[in-house]
Amino acid sequence: MHAPTGTGKTLAAAGGPLIDGLLRPQTGLQLIWITPLRSLATDTAQHLGAAVEAMGLPWRVLRRTGDSGSAERAKLRRGACELLVTTPESLALLLSYPDARERFAHLRGIVVDEWHELIGNKRGTLLQLGLARLHRWLPALRTWGLSATLGNLDEALHALASDGVLIGGSSRKKTHIDTALPDGGERFPWAGHLGLSQLPRVLDAVLAVKTSLVFANTRSQAELWHEALASVWPGPPETLALHHGSIDPKLRFATEESLRLGTLRCVVATSSLDLGVDFSSVEQVVQVGSPKSIARLLQRAGRSGHQPGMPSRILCVPTHLLELAEIAAARRALSEDHLEPRHPMRGCLDVLAQHLLTMALGGGFTADDAYAEITSSLAYAQLPRERFDAVLAYLRTGGTALASYPEYQKLIETEGRFHVDSGRIARMHRMSIGTITSDGSLQVRYMKGARLGTVEESFLSRLRPGDRFLFAGRNLELVRVRDMTAYVRAAPNRRGGVPRWMGGRLPLSGELSDELRRTLAEGAPRSAEMRTLAPLLDIQRRRSSVPDAEETLCERTRTREGDYLFLFPFAGRLAHEGLAAVLAYRLARLQPGDYGYAVNDYGLTITAARMPPLDADAMRQLLHPARLRTDIRASFNLTELARRQFREVARVAGLVFNGYPAAGKTLRQLQASSGLLFDVLRRHDPTHPLLWQAEREVLDQQLDYTRLRACLVRIARSRLLWREPKRLSPFAFPLWVERLRGGIATDDWKSRVERMLATLETDADT
Amino acid sequence: MMTRDIVVAGERLTLHAQRAVYWAAQRMLLVSDVHFGKGAVFRRAGIAVPSGDTDDDLARLDALIAEFTPERLVVLGDLVHGAATERSAWVERVRAWRQSHTGVEVTLVAGNHDRHFDVRSLGIDVVPDRLDVAPFVLSHHPHPQAAGYTLAGHVHPGVVIRDGWRRHRLPAFVFDRDVGMLPAFGTLTGLHEVEACAGRQIIAVTPAGLVPAR
Repeated sequence: MHAPTGTGKTLAAAGGPLIDGLLRPQTGLQLIWITPLRSLATDTAQHLGAAVEAMGLPWRVLRRTGDSGSAERAKLRRGACELLVTTPESLALLLSYPDARERFAHLRGIVVDEWHELIGNKRGTLLQLGLARLHRWLPALRTWGLSATLGNLDEALHALASDGVLIGGSSRKKTHIDTALPDGGERFPWAGHLGLSQLPRVLDAVLAVKTSLVFANTRSQAELWHEALASVWPGPPETLALHHGSIDPKLRFATEESLRLGTLRCVVATSSLDLGVDFSSVEQVVQVGSPKSIARLLQRAGRSGHQPGMPSRILCVPTHLLELAEIAAARRALSEDHLEPRHPMRGCLDVLAQHLLTMALGGGFTADDAYAEITSSLAYAQLPRERFDAVLAYLRTGGTALASYPEYQKLIETEGRFHVDSGRIARMHRMSIGTITSDGSLQVRYMKGARLGTVEESFLSRLRPGDRFLFAGRNLELVRVRDMTAYVRAAPNRRGGVPRWMGGRLPLSGELSDELRRTLAEGAPRSAEMRTLAPLLDIQRRRSSVPDAEETLCERTRTREGDYLFLFPFAGRLAHEGLAAVLAYRLARLQPGDYGYAVNDYGLTITAARMPPLDADAMRQLLHPARLRTDIRASFNLTELARRQFREVARVAGLVFNGYPAAGKTLRQLQASSGLLFDVLRRHDPTHPLLWQAEREVLDQQLDYTRLRACLVRIARSRLLWREPKRLSPFAFPLWVERLRGGIATDDWKSRVERMLATLETDADT
Repeated sequence: MMTRDIVVAGERLTLHAQRAVYWAAQRMLLVSDVHFGKGAVFRRAGIAVPSGDTDDDLARLDALIAEFTPERLVVLGDLVHGAATERSAWVERVRAWRQSHTGVEVTLVAGNHDRHFDVRSLGIDVVPDRLDVAPFVLSHHPHPQAAGYTLAGHVHPGVVIRDGWRRHRLPAFVFDRDVGMLPAFGTLTGLHEVEACAGRQIIAVTPAGLVPAR
């Protein structure tokens, strides 16, 4: 079912099972409601609880998420509820108990809320596997999916139910996109992603209405914007709040409660407030920085104007000049109904490994049955049996490199049935269920005991006691770190940094990139954003060129730091990263050396101490789509990409254990081991299924292979503009300040050492 | 490039890129922080570290012994990493290795980790704090000593070397006025970055040889 928010999707989906419950009363678990966000669970549970009560059903409604307290968990274990609101992870956890099948015996229905949020990631895969399990036990189970509008609704339906029906609301709410435009004569940065220079304009907008949501794209950006707003906030401090996923659940719930009551004027938030919960008090939404996807813009805009018939309003605040073009492009795309599709992931072996262990704990399985069940889901419909068997073998023996260690033999086979024998393996598995990974994180709490949330260890490890930092909207001073907890006290001001969290920056979506290229190529500016951008495009035109839709721009500029090559395919940072690696690899083949690269959503740059001689023809050959896959593989062997990806894969598949929640500090030294493991598996067990998975994820997701290939084909057909600006062009500047993402070195350690020694000697001579 | 001779406290020492020092005048091979059995400790904690770390380290020791034919091997502490039993796999391997080098005297200057397992049962001599072989004091902790120039381990020194746009984080030998520190010998060991300062000599270890750091 897809329909705009505020049209009664929730009750429509719950209605059937509720009426059924009246007609044929039963006790025990009757209905499961899956929600992607913990913050949504509370609201949904209340909403459904009211409906249950109004209908006079004797159902008990319970919420079970990672945030649940031990009382709720215990209640659930006793089976004391009929309607359960939960997350995909908590459902997987329930499936891992030996009595899972009995527990679900009376289930009438399952509803997957906000399916569009889950479909494209591993959480969606995990859920598909859970559904396959339930459908196997209960073939008549009724399944509902609720989704926002997507570019691929049919596929989204198919992933939940192969023989389902699509019910749609056609009319979409009107959405107004406004932009905070810099005044004429105001200096606006060419690069950057914070946008704090726009603070006065945002404050004015926030104060003009009763309640606003200010969305930032990353948690650290949200912290900094909250701090900035707080410093100029004219009202009582408690009317301004901060909300993101690393803040302690209690504090988040308090913020949501105040939003519901309408006592807040402004909440600075990340995607943690993107979804579902209806805050009717919200009149306006502010988006700091480009939303990077049309669907996200629409969704965030939809957080305002919840009353039927009211339009949604969103104020976009660009953080640098070129983002104006992204906003203009987003508006164009929206007017033409171009929304991004979200494709379900296929055949993830790490999630499969996790689920097989869950199945083994939840009653055991035989290989043939499990294979049949798993391939009944869309996510694994095409999984070859060999691959399934390889994952099973990994769970039984750990794979050849680890075969001599009994601690990796997680599954035991008895007369054809697989099960788990060790209580320790069961405990460790249940603690590791889920597919969301983060760096090892530490609790942050006051000396007196109140919890503030979690911060990644990589950030805290750089701090010493006495250092100050900004977190959860507070200035804090680190007192000590003990037992995976950072004890802090309030500090009068801030000198230090803001924690950075992994998974920071969102890539520009394919649909928005295409629209952006068309928008930049339009001759006369058609929107206020493009008129404001015109002077910058003039400088770009004078120093280099602005490519039209049939051109690709390539620049080479020498600066004091080195020789820089810039390419602007406007294809999003994911595809650019793959392209940069391939281009660096091909350059290194042309002339051996060490090539570093950086990317953003508009283009890529490659730098080296000395570039080979290049021109338009040479570039055309370097960018040829032929042999792309081979070259990607070759270049990606030399980079860190797979190693980085492997961390997540190893965690999801249970190869690396994140640790007991309250374990002592000895775990600290154990957390970095996935990189080490990756190296040794490559050496001793190169066919390990998890290496294969890591490599595939890099190709499909991280490098967006499909888009990368399409991009090269487009470049091959386009006219290549070769420019050698004396000074960095406005397009090149943001790339030049970007941190280098990686590099391709064709020099080995021997030649590096020779070069380093030679440098030493020259330095000694001068 | 694999070796580099330097003079410390008037003695010629040969630094080797396999993270060892050979003192030719005494026919003494020095290594530090081997951390045998660290992989096993990881694995016990549920972290999959592949096997083979002990074998790799022993093979590297074999190669060094073959290259220099020392009379004595001195380990500057932390030969073992964590608790083990006589039947632990790595203990068996180290015992077999020790028996294949009966001609070499092996001495351990005990470090903080060595309390976990008594290596005397493997035919390795243990001295508690320090071993004085003039002009050097061989110890685990890098404290200056009145009796001579300290050669020590414990720190796992490392250094960041810039090479073009790239930064390499490498293990290193560090020699100060009164104390010299060896890089950790073991394969599965971390690094502690040391800063350059006046009077300090830092020699980085790369897979292809030694590079003095500026």
